[in-house]
Amino acid sequence: MALIPPRPAPVPTSGPVYWLRRNLFSGPFNTVLTLVTGAVVAWALYNLATFVFVDASWEQVWRNMKLFGVYRYPTQYLWRPLLVAGVMLGLMGAMSGVAGRRSIIGSAFFALQGFVALVSVVAVLFWPSVRFLWPMALAIGFAGYLVGLRWPRVVRHLPWAWTVWLVGGAVLLLGVDSGGPFGRVPIRDWGGFLLTLILFTGIVPSFPIGVALALGRQSKLPAIKYFCIGFIEVVRGAPLIMWLFIASLLLPLILDVDANSLPAIMRAYVAITLFSAAYMAENVRGGLQAVPRGQSEAARALGLSAWQTTYLIVLPQALRAVIPAIVGQAIGLFKDTSLVFIVGLVDFFKVADIVSVQPESLLVTGGVKLEVFLFIAAIYFFFAYRMSIASRQLERRLGVGER
Amino acid sequence: MVNAQPRNHTAEPVVPFWRNVKVIGILAQVAFVLVLVAGVGILVNNVTTALARANLPADFSFLRNPAGIPIAERPIPYQVTDTYARALLIGFLNTLKIAVVGVALATLIGVLVGVMRLSANWLLRTLATVYVEVLRNIPLAVQIVFWYSAILLPFPPRISDPVALPGGLLLSNVGLAFPALYPTYRFGSWVPFLVAAAVLAALAALWRVRQLRRLDQVGRVWPYPLVAFLVVAGGGLAFSYADRSVPPELAVSFDAERGRGTTTIAEDGRSRPAAFVPVRISLPTATLTTTSQNLVESREVVHGTFRFPLIKESEAEAFEFAFADPEAAAAQGLALHFTAFPSVGIVYADRNGNGELDEGEDVDPATGRGYGGQGVVMTLTGFERVVVSDRDGQVRMPLFKAPSAAEQAAAEPTTPAAGGGRFSAFGQAATSSGAAEVTLEATTELLPVGALVLSRAHVPVSNYEGGMRFTVNYLALLLALVIYTSAFIAEIVRGGILAVPKGQREAAHAVGLSGYQTFTLVVFPQAMRVVLPPMISQYLNLTKNSSLASLAGYAELFVIASVVSNQTGAAIPIALLLIGAYLLISLAFSLVLNNVNARLALVER
Repeated sequence: MALIPPRPAPVPTSGPVYWLRRNLFSGPFNTVLTLVTGAVVAWALYNLATFVFVDASWEQVWRNMKLFGVYRYPTQYLWRPLLVAGVMLGLMGAMSGVAGRRSIIGSAFFALQGFVALVSVVAVLFWPSVRFLWPMALAIGFAGYLVGLRWPRVVRHLPWAWTVWLVGGAVLLLGVDSGGPFGRVPIRDWGGFLLTLILFTGIVPSFPIGVALALGRQSKLPAIKYFCIGFIEVVRGAPLIMWLFIASLLLPLILDVDANSLPAIMRAYVAITLFSAAYMAENVRGGLQAVPRGQSEAARALGLSAWQTTYLIVLPQALRAVIPAIVGQAIGLFKDTSLVFIVGLVDFFKVADIVSVQPESLLVTGGVKLEVFLFIAAIYFFFAYRMSIASRQLERRLGVGER
Repeated sequence: MVNAQPRNHTAEPVVPFWRNVKVIGILAQVAFVLVLVAGVGILVNNVTTALARANLPADFSFLRNPAGIPIAERPIPYQVTDTYARALLIGFLNTLKIAVVGVALATLIGVLVGVMRLSANWLLRTLATVYVEVLRNIPLAVQIVFWYSAILLPFPPRISDPVALPGGLLLSNVGLAFPALYPTYRFGSWVPFLVAAAVLAALAALWRVRQLRRLDQVGRVWPYPLVAFLVVAGGGLAFSYADRSVPPELAVSFDAERGRGTTTIAEDGRSRPAAFVPVRISLPTATLTTTSQNLVESREVVHGTFRFPLIKESEAEAFEFAFADPEAAAAQGLALHFTAFPSVGIVYADRNGNGELDEGEDVDPATGRGYGGQGVVMTLTGFERVVVSDRDGQVRMPLFKAPSAAEQAAAEPTTPAAGGGRFSAFGQAATSSGAAEVTLEATTELLPVGALVLSRAHVPVSNYEGGMRFTVNYLALLLALVIYTSAFIAEIVRGGILAVPKGQREAAHAVGLSGYQTFTLVVFPQAMRVVLPPMISQYLNLTKNSSLASLAGYAELFVIASVVSNQTGAAIPIALLLIGAYLLISLAFSLVLNNVNARLALVER
């Protein structure tokens, strides 16, 4: 009786060796590809690392941190922007506490807190003027989180809290004429990352305007419809930098006020908000078109009025569907705030330009442009990439991508 | 939705007019239009009074005034004395120039990266993902400044020391120059051939279409007209080269000392500059002088570098080098080390006398710095260069000087070792003495040419001449726009490929198509349908984003418009022109989009 010869051991379908064979060395072509790409990547990474850790002179970036952060905002008033930032973290923390640590807002909140914690450590060690302020912002953030965790019902008050934050924050940053701890800080001294974030809030007023434009575009009244179409298409047709330029030149003329009485930040804010609203309108329109007709017909059949149908049935569904697109637009706006240099504002990007041509920078062999722009690129990347992660999570959660 | 109130279907319409949806709608619109007109009226009134008060132009008549704006980048002839209208036109053409090239390159890279993101190779896939994520999430403004002022401006070789790439390309911090074909004075004789070729091609296409229809076959149309066109046009081009004479009306004047010349053509007794004429310029003997410098390049200190204008080794029979002050140089034991013979090198002190640049020999131990400030003299014999005059008939050459008797007398062998290198020391070869040559001799010869001439780029003094040029500003903006947009296109392409149902791929494999065929014949055409509309909106974004050109110093439409606006104060007319121009571009793109959509729908059947 012959024995059946033993079968060869099964090829492993897991483990690092299998992974390597499958993903990197699955054939002669792939092997060559891996080796060539690997060599190029290794060379590039080596050069980058040599530059970042050996050749680069980070001295100028380090010394001008305050300019990067807030530009010329007075040092004795730095508690004001940091308090505003802290309260923002606190409100985000409360939302995260309610929604849970692993929710989309929760993971974004903790990423942001990680960033703030890192800066806090640096501040405690090296920056005496904000030694206690950064940890304060961090603490308010966590306090908000604990409140949200303990009393989930605060979620009902959050819209009001955000509104109070927005208005109160603006007032606090500006200050009052009386002097003292609340002394006036002229708007021309605002700048750096603070200004970038302030301009980024232009997404908030652009939202209702955008929704109104989107609804107007769907309207059956030709006057309103064509006005909205015209506004949306003209604004979207030209680049933001042109609208910023036009706003800075024309707003004082149009409003017939003295050019000096209308700060550049206001002109830029108007341009950014209206520009963003036109894009918002197109995003919202996509959502409106995605709501099945049956929804509004059913609502009408139930006796809801036209406005009730829009606000209770159509808009909630439409906006839900376009949340990822709106986050995508927010990323675009965040990046586009770098264009305000054209109206003479000194945002995060412009500060980099200023720092790179300081006399001390020019003394450094070969200049510090590379260092400075790598630094701001890294910061922009951190925030934009974090938002794009949130956008992707939202897409998955809402199932928009799978449709 | 407002006027879709439920109808009352009872016997008679009892809806009062203030609840009648149609009436409400009309009233709402009238109110809206009134508010709009009133608002716009107030604003327009504000603007006109403000303009009148500030005495600023409110109409377009200023466009006819001379602009006085120097523009380095001009696709069509332009002078500082030309009008504002022409300056703006140059800007518009520059926008198109960057948009067209940018769109093509961004598509190429974007599709490549998009396909890479779906690669089975983990490393390639990850690399593509990192590329997309990093570049999408950094503002374009930062990227433009990064490429322009952090990479391209400080890093590449100076214009005095450009890198010669294969194919006659020259790269430096002034930009990229490459050979280009230009029409000559004989171009007119080629035009009839071109017309005949076009007519023949049309006839061939017509004939082929008819033939296919008659035979009821499926086949390619385009090879027939293409071959017909190429044969006739190529024959005409070859024929234009058959005449090897130079017309007697053509002349060239060349001032060798100033390095400048003009090619002229006599017409009706008057001579005017002749464009694109090839000229051979020969110098029996000439010298060039330069001074070594200690400078910083690519973040490194380069000691005692000397640079002559770019000259190829093949352009002269012999090169000889000497120091301007031979005694002092000999006392220090200075010698020359070439990094790019014969134009670029380093002055060093050959302390160990081995005739080579060794570690530390480029630094003077007394001062701790390099040997800057040393005059170096190059003497060429039998120099010859063929140059093509530019659009204005101008010819430029390096600023050669005559080898003067005094210099020759002063010239001594620099170092004994230097003579053994790739060059001979000046003093050893120079034997002529006494006869003082003061003026520089140069012979010029007009070369015969056909309908087209190949103009090569060269660097006579401190800028490119001849060929075609992309300035470093253009390159930086192009690079940033292409890389930024390609990250978005990659995502679109990836999405498009993923959108093709898996069954399509499996079916293609089942009918025996190879992997490549599956991709090109089945997956790609279907992905195109999903990909093209968002892709074209990315093209539009690229065009609009080119308005950031001021960050790279490129004279694009918005840049010129803002300069004009600042000069004239004509903010409103300029704003209207800009909006009009951008809407025109948007409209062109949406026309293309509609056309493409229609064609894709046809393919879909």
